Amino acid sequence: MKKYFIPTILLLILTSCSIKPQPIDYGSDACYYCSMTIVDRQHAAQIVTEKGKAFKFDATECMMNHLNDINSNEIALFLVNDYSNPGVLINATKAFYLISEGIPSPMGEYLTAFGAKEGVEEAMLIHEGDQLNWEQLKLRFEY
Amino acid sequence: MERKHVVLYVILLLLGTKMWASTITVCKTCPIKTIKEGIARAADFDTILIKKGTYHEFNIRITKPLTLIGEDYPIIDGQEQGEIIQIAANNVTIEGVFIKNVGTSYTSDYAAIRVIRSEDFLIQNVKLEKLFFGIYLEKSKNGKVLNNKIVGDAKDEYNSGNGIQLWHSQNIIVANNSVQRVRDGIYLEFSDDILIENNYSANNLRYGLHFMFSNDDIYKGNTFENNGAGVAVMFSKRIKMLGNTFRKNWGTASFGMLLKEINDAEIYGNTFEENTVGISIEGSNRIDYKNNDFIRNGWAIKVRGACYANTITNNNFLYNSFDLAYNSNLNDNIFEGNYWSSYTGYDLNRDGIGDVPFRPVKLFSYIVNRTPETIILLRSLFMDIIDFSEKVSPVFTPDNLVDAKPLMKKNK
Repeated sequence: MKKYFIPTILLLILTSCSIKPQPIDYGSDACYYCSMTIVDRQHAAQIVTEKGKAFKFDATECMMNHLNDINSNEIALFLVNDYSNPGVLINATKAFYLISEGIPSPMGEYLTAFGAKEGVEEAMLIHEGDQLNWEQLKLRFEY
Repeated sequence: MERKHVVLYVILLLLGTKMWASTITVCKTCPIKTIKEGIARAADFDTILIKKGTYHEFNIRITKPLTLIGEDYPIIDGQEQGEIIQIAANNVTIEGVFIKNVGTSYTSDYAAIRVIRSEDFLIQNVKLEKLFFGIYLEKSKNGKVLNNKIVGDAKDEYNSGNGIQLWHSQNIIVANNSVQRVRDGIYLEFSDDILIENNYSANNLRYGLHFMFSNDDIYKGNTFENNGAGVAVMFSKRIKMLGNTFRKNWGTASFGMLLKEINDAEIYGNTFEENTVGISIEGSNRIDYKNNDFIRNGWAIKVRGACYANTITNNNFLYNSFDLAYNSNLNDNIFEGNYWSSYTGYDLNRDGIGDVPFRPVKLFSYIVNRTPETIILLRSLFMDIIDFSEKVSPVFTPDNLVDAKPLMKKNK
């Protein structure tokens, strides 16, 4: 028991403050903004503060709404799920966004993020919709 | 005269034969071997009797009033090809069939049975397995969904749909169903005047029951067990929640019931037992909590945001780690006549009401709300001491948050 003590402490010290995304435990973690359990691997999102604290969201729209409520200068990372690769978190500021009635998202905004331009264009062929980039998305959510 | 009677009689007889619906039998050795063919040949209001056997069919569309009855649970196997039965007509009944292997897809929500813009439907005694969505009602009215058994395999399959889903539907009865291992057991979106009664919803990935933007619904006598979380009621008005049981919703983000932006609800006679949080409340006003039992929960009631004009009366709070926690102002909420197992006052005048008021918010719960990590100090001597000192002279906990009439005996 004793021999694990120091490594554990070291591990805690070293891991507690690094700025990196936390894995989302789907089916158990709750959305910080709306309290709903996160289950959708294609629409979840996350922000990580300068201090390394991660906030998880069940949908991109919840992240955007939350950003309205806080000082976003303290945020180091903005992350969203890539619709084409379920469960993979990508840089939200570089992602391609689609608002389309054809793809419902968890909180009713029909908002989906894609990592690659091909992904969003493919989805556009199947469903009608509006394409946005991060800046346009911020305007839409008035953040 | 005589002749007129005979003519009339014959006409009536002819009319009468049109009124009797005929029955079409479908089986492997019958002239009609598929359900689709049976439906194609049927006239309005006919009955299709499906004999025991396995039918590999999908996209079965019903566009006229029909009754489909299975004998000894015939199996309709969709072979993962997509939607299995679609009802797009009034007065359709589906009964006693076993449906399995609905196709899953990332882009469309396939259902085992989908009802589209129809009225007066009845879906009963149906068994569903290997599904994506189970029974999906869209823009439909005046129907019944009774005694169905839905078992998904959502435990390891995150891309899974809901068991019974109502979207833009009104005046529907969902009763005596059992829904297990899907995403949300029963899900209502924009659906009003729905009665959800005596269902068993368990082992689901997210919620046993989930309301979004739905008003004037009643759910009573249901049991929600071992779901990701019990019931979530969001952005809805005038929901009645009566006599339900919420058990064993344990987990970091788990709760028996979540209320978010709910107004004018009635919560009577429910049991919240062994949940991490019995009820989690946010932005909910004018809610009446009466005769509920909160037994052995981590938090019986956790208030997370502005809540106005709620009344909490005649409930039993038994052996919860925290009876009440809040992180903002509790505004004009009334606590009265509850029984609190942690109440230690006396009743010297023997009127059944404790002589000193009870303060349900402990100092420790206030600290835990500020700094969640301090939960590790639960049941430590130091915490007991500060709780005791706070009880003697309240400094941090709100002065007006008291039950002035704590009962000495449990509410029956």
